Amino acid sequence: MAGFMLGSTELRDHLHRVELPDRRQGPLGAYAAEILRYGGFVGSSIECHGQLVRSMERAREHIDRCEGEGRAVESGRVIIAERLSGSKGRFTRRWHAPPGGLWGCLIHANALTPQSSMLFSLAVGVAACEALDSYLPGRPALRWINDVLIDGGKAAGFLIESHSGPRWKEQFHLVGFGININNTSFPEELRGTAVSLCDRRGSHVDLREFSLVFLAKLTWNIGLLYFVEAGGGAGAPDDEGVHPVVSRWCELADTLGRKVVFGFDVISRPQYRATAVDIAADGGLVLNLEDGHTVIEHSGEIRYV
Amino acid sequence: MSNEIDFDTILGKYRSDPYDYIDVHAIHTGVVNFKVDEGDDVDSASGEWNHIPGTSVYEINRERNPKLVHSHIKGTISAINGELDGQFVEAGEKLMTIRHPLKKKEIIENILKEVLFLFRAPERAKYFFSLDIQSRIEKKGARSVSVSPGEEIITMSLMKRDTPVYYKGEPGVIHSVYFKPGVSVDQGSPLIGVCAPEKLPLIQKIITRVKADWDQNAAV
Repeated sequence: MAGFMLGSTELRDHLHRVELPDRRQGPLGAYAAEILRYGGFVGSSIECHGQLVRSMERAREHIDRCEGEGRAVESGRVIIAERLSGSKGRFTRRWHAPPGGLWGCLIHANALTPQSSMLFSLAVGVAACEALDSYLPGRPALRWINDVLIDGGKAAGFLIESHSGPRWKEQFHLVGFGININNTSFPEELRGTAVSLCDRRGSHVDLREFSLVFLAKLTWNIGLLYFVEAGGGAGAPDDEGVHPVVSRWCELADTLGRKVVFGFDVISRPQYRATAVDIAADGGLVLNLEDGHTVIEHSGEIRYV
Repeated sequence: MSNEIDFDTILGKYRSDPYDYIDVHAIHTGVVNFKVDEGDDVDSASGEWNHIPGTSVYEINRERNPKLVHSHIKGTISAINGELDGQFVEAGEKLMTIRHPLKKKEIIENILKEVLFLFRAPERAKYFFSLDIQSRIEKKGARSVSVSPGEEIITMSLMKRDTPVYYKGEPGVIHSVYFKPGVSVDQGSPLIGVCAPEKLPLIQKIITRVKADWDQNAAV
């Protein structure tokens, strides 16, 4: 059993009580209820565990078991664990997931067009940044693609993997999330680069409440992808053709205008230095190289110089 | 794949016409304006990261959104559909042909692509070998690594979303690797070339024969 229990009913209550009134005050306020309905599958069921090896692995097993038994897999299932004993980041990197943080995985049955899928990673990052921002206004910032930094240290990261069901080959996004909340000690290799919300805020955070806030932000931002795809009202790209997820990402990011080092695996194989100048309509990062030429990257990662 | 190969016919073909002919098509509907004429030389992308675009070959304008299209390959414009200049075209319309002079290495690759099973990129993305395949390649070299249908061999990475790619095709060893980690691969381009282990001597024979034949002809 996790340090806290969370159910989909509580999430629905939070959405009605907090998220909807809040979103009604925003630029897409007239469509707030509709957008939240589009994303309403997020948290359709919530599993809480004391310990797992990896939540992504648990998600894969769940999908395979459901399909094996001839049952459909519900989109939006969330798996949360108090601690993960074998968590990992991209490539061969380790992810430290002791008690105190929010560790888990969202199963998203991918019904998005390829164009909207390109923005999925951005939407997930925006959700985490908005959730952290509601505890520390103005301090969390996004680093392309979806790392969330607080005062320059990494507070949240995501690992998104596709998985096809073994029987019907339905495609799922497994959205692994790791957000440092009340965990304040980090292994040697992460000291200096990782931070937690509690540390930066100077006070303990109610993890259960934070989880609700984060899942509500995910509901909104993933809902926005579906809403725009369905041609919903003013949620369509603005006058300049910018998708609302991209414009929100730009509001929350501190990437543009920064000198960066880029690499597919930037830690072990940095490739080049450049200045990040823009986000393309499909979420790609527009980089000006030192020789004056421009490239757009759709994969890889950056670190600020 | 046959165990025998008619070297004289294949090499004769390349000797008499050592070029590839690459058709250039409209990338989407719109009004096209050509930037080159027949006989013009064009360059491919260059620079350390392939970031300097090749020669501009046409501009296409759809709903006041002009897009400049560049050559992906070095060569000469051998044919151009001149009557389309300034006209509205459909996506995929053939606009011109670039004649690309082949180097010895490219001829070997072209012949090998006819005899290897080519496993192609499902989407334009960056690719890397799965951890298991990568460690086997590092230990023994790619040509000692066998792959079989259904095996997870490669990971496709797009916008920090990693998708396992399962091998579909003839079982065999990885003979050729056509992608580099960190470099985008176009949809449909080959990722790896696979052949049955017993066919490796034939592949080696092709390489040796083309090298010898080409060097001999170059010397004459």
